[in-house]
Amino acid sequence: MRVGDELLALAKAGGDGTIFVVGIGRDAGKTTTVRAIYFAAVRKKLRVALASVGRDRGTLGDGAAKPRLWLSPGTCFVSAVGVLPQSPACRVFRVSSLQTPSGNILFAGVETPGPYEVTGPPTAAGMRDVIAELRERSDLVIVDGAVDRVAALAGTRGAVIVAAGAADSATVAETALDTGALVARLRVPGFDAEAPGITVENALTETLVGRFIAERESRQIVVNDPTQIALRGRAAAEAFARLRIRCRRPLRVVAATVASAAAERQFEPVDFGTAVANATQLPTFDVYRGARAA
Amino acid sequence: MRRSKLLDRPTAELIGFSWLVDAVAPLSAYGERSFSEVTPFLAGDESAARSRTRRIVELAAALDPGRLEALRALLRDVPDVAAALAGAAIGDVLSDPAFLELRRFCATLARVDSLVADSGQFEPLCNAAVRGVGDALATGQRDDATSFYLADAFDDGLAVARQRRADAHAEFQALRGREEQRIAAALDREDLGDEFIVMRGELRGDLPAGVHVIREAPTYFLCRAQYDEATVTALQRRDAADRSAAQAEEEVRARLSVVVRERAVEVSAAGAALGELDVLVAAAVYARRHGCTAPDISAEPTLEFEQARFLPLEEQLALAGREFTALDVRLDGAAVLTGPNMGGKSVCLQTCGFVALCCAYGLPVPATRARAGLFDQIAWLGLGRDERIGGLLSSFAREVLALKEVFERAAPRLLLLGDEFARTTTPHEGRALLIALLERLRSRSACAMLATHLGGVAAASGARHFAVRGLRSIPQPSGDERIEQVLATLGASMDYRVAEVGEAESATGDAIALADLLGLDRDFIAAAYRAVAQ
Repeated sequence: MRVGDELLALAKAGGDGTIFVVGIGRDAGKTTTVRAIYFAAVRKKLRVALASVGRDRGTLGDGAAKPRLWLSPGTCFVSAVGVLPQSPACRVFRVSSLQTPSGNILFAGVETPGPYEVTGPPTAAGMRDVIAELRERSDLVIVDGAVDRVAALAGTRGAVIVAAGAADSATVAETALDTGALVARLRVPGFDAEAPGITVENALTETLVGRFIAERESRQIVVNDPTQIALRGRAAAEAFARLRIRCRRPLRVVAATVASAAAERQFEPVDFGTAVANATQLPTFDVYRGARAA
Repeated sequence: MRRSKLLDRPTAELIGFSWLVDAVAPLSAYGERSFSEVTPFLAGDESAARSRTRRIVELAAALDPGRLEALRALLRDVPDVAAALAGAAIGDVLSDPAFLELRRFCATLARVDSLVADSGQFEPLCNAAVRGVGDALATGQRDDATSFYLADAFDDGLAVARQRRADAHAEFQALRGREEQRIAAALDREDLGDEFIVMRGELRGDLPAGVHVIREAPTYFLCRAQYDEATVTALQRRDAADRSAAQAEEEVRARLSVVVRERAVEVSAAGAALGELDVLVAAAVYARRHGCTAPDISAEPTLEFEQARFLPLEEQLALAGREFTALDVRLDGAAVLTGPNMGGKSVCLQTCGFVALCCAYGLPVPATRARAGLFDQIAWLGLGRDERIGGLLSSFAREVLALKEVFERAAPRLLLLGDEFARTTTPHEGRALLIALLERLRSRSACAMLATHLGGVAAASGARHFAVRGLRSIPQPSGDERIEQVLATLGASMDYRVAEVGEAESATGDAIALADLLGLDRDFIAAAYRAVAQ
């Protein structure tokens, strides 16, 4: 099987042509997942556009350059004035006013196949604008994203794919728990406008959740989008079990991927894939094995 | 737009300077640069100020709303190429994004020229240098300045280098692809990533030839495809072809950068002209939107207008569904303004200041007719200027110090707007101070309007006396105490117009009626009326 084909099919079913890949930490295999989906889309002769959270604020904000992607002619991608390669020359469509430490964001088109660094804006609002422009230029937009920018997809039919890697926690169980909590958070259902609810405008924190639980709150706890929910691990699991947390603009999470090999540790691939699939209840794929994990 | 010495910050705030700056702000970076250099016209500049206001009004008339909007859209999007021009001027090799911005800049100038061509107001922005850069960058481009690509058409050598690179890539891809397909087939997979995992349990026999194991774990191998000798040689040829193509591309960029460098000064001048146009277009949009007319800029320190509006308040009133009552004033020296509370004395002063402000910056005024001199200083004194309570100084002391500053500066052309100056001292002494101030202003030939509730000031000082017409009838409280409703009732009863009145005419306050309308209890109001009667 080709993992990219499977992920693309899941994302496109009922979707709006935007795929956002988020990781639970660094080395989660996001770029490998993006690459697999990208090649699947190119094989299907789709016009593809790519963006990324970029080097300026990666998951850990280390400022390191993202791995370059080998892109085919006709692909549109987001770059910045300071990181656009001199060669091969690209077609430059527009230099935007969105700024990053690497210069203004720009939209470019691949004329010559080659390795390109894909980047993106530093905020979710900027990402929303970038996605809107990329959608006008393509059939499919793929974002090598981060959880704090996924709000750009909130309330749309864009698909979210969660990538989990061995670098994130010390054990398979811990990584699976964190991934499950993240997915539960991102999959918070839409709110019921007819039912009573309490709106939380800022972050839904452990403190706030503790208060609601102590008060045996039975009304909906409504956030604008899932990224407002600042809960992890067991705190998140307890909150979702005991409260009716809902959001105004839900996300559509369609699949998970696993990367069992990291520089500092390796998980047994089958065990890891199975644990993440069980924790997330999502179709889960191992992008390194080229197989469905469970 | 700089305040310069024309007015201090409190005065600017009271007479709508910030509002005006926002209303006439240009859209482009060039416009912003030009706008930031705008300073008020001073005495002696009357001809230039007159010509500027007329030019703006003519431009507003010459360009229909559709064309003005199209022009604004172009100005909003025109790229700022100042940095690229500066870089080219010192010999930098420009980047492709910079070429795109230059291309868009040149194309925008051509479009702006076509939109304003028949206005008769502007010299063409597209000089020979702009056309030269635009033409040079259009080589081999497939569309109308919406993208830029370092096309093969720029240089034959570039096309050759790129073809060699494409051939080398194809050769390498074929060899690598064949190798990867062989390995994938041996592993029963459809494709391989850069790195891939092979499970020991799924492996039939040994790993196929050409697989390099990066890491070996008890249950799997982490692998990478290894290139054979022919593929490695093709890879080396590909890398060499990449370098040659990159060099050819950079040579083309260098040549294009020279084209830009040789024209940088003239292109910059075109940018500066665009900035001035942007500033004028913004002013024309303002004039059109607010029905402004060109004032007659006088060599005398005078201020007169008919049907003038204080636009910041007009805008607020419109939001509340109410209309501004346009004012007529003819001021050629120091005058007194009286009228009831809430009758618009302060607004009359603000309107005077706003009209004078527009004239000072060569802008059309929101009036059907206006005639004004250019002032060296517009100063506000009294109510509204400094509303702080507490501190070391009393409000009276702050007023006096503000007046002292005005006296010390001794601006040859002064417009002084006084709103209830000396209201916080005894009426007797307050009146005396106002009379003295009017005498001083007259001796300096200043233009001034001093609003006051104190009676007999105009008669005692020999100054002209203007008054707000005031309540047509005493409005009756409707029982609805919401402030919007009260203001609407008051608005319907109040005649806000200002007229010159005789020296003997006394100031009326209508204060008790207004207090009644604003909801004070009836017993209190009755007590006040009794006290007045006694």
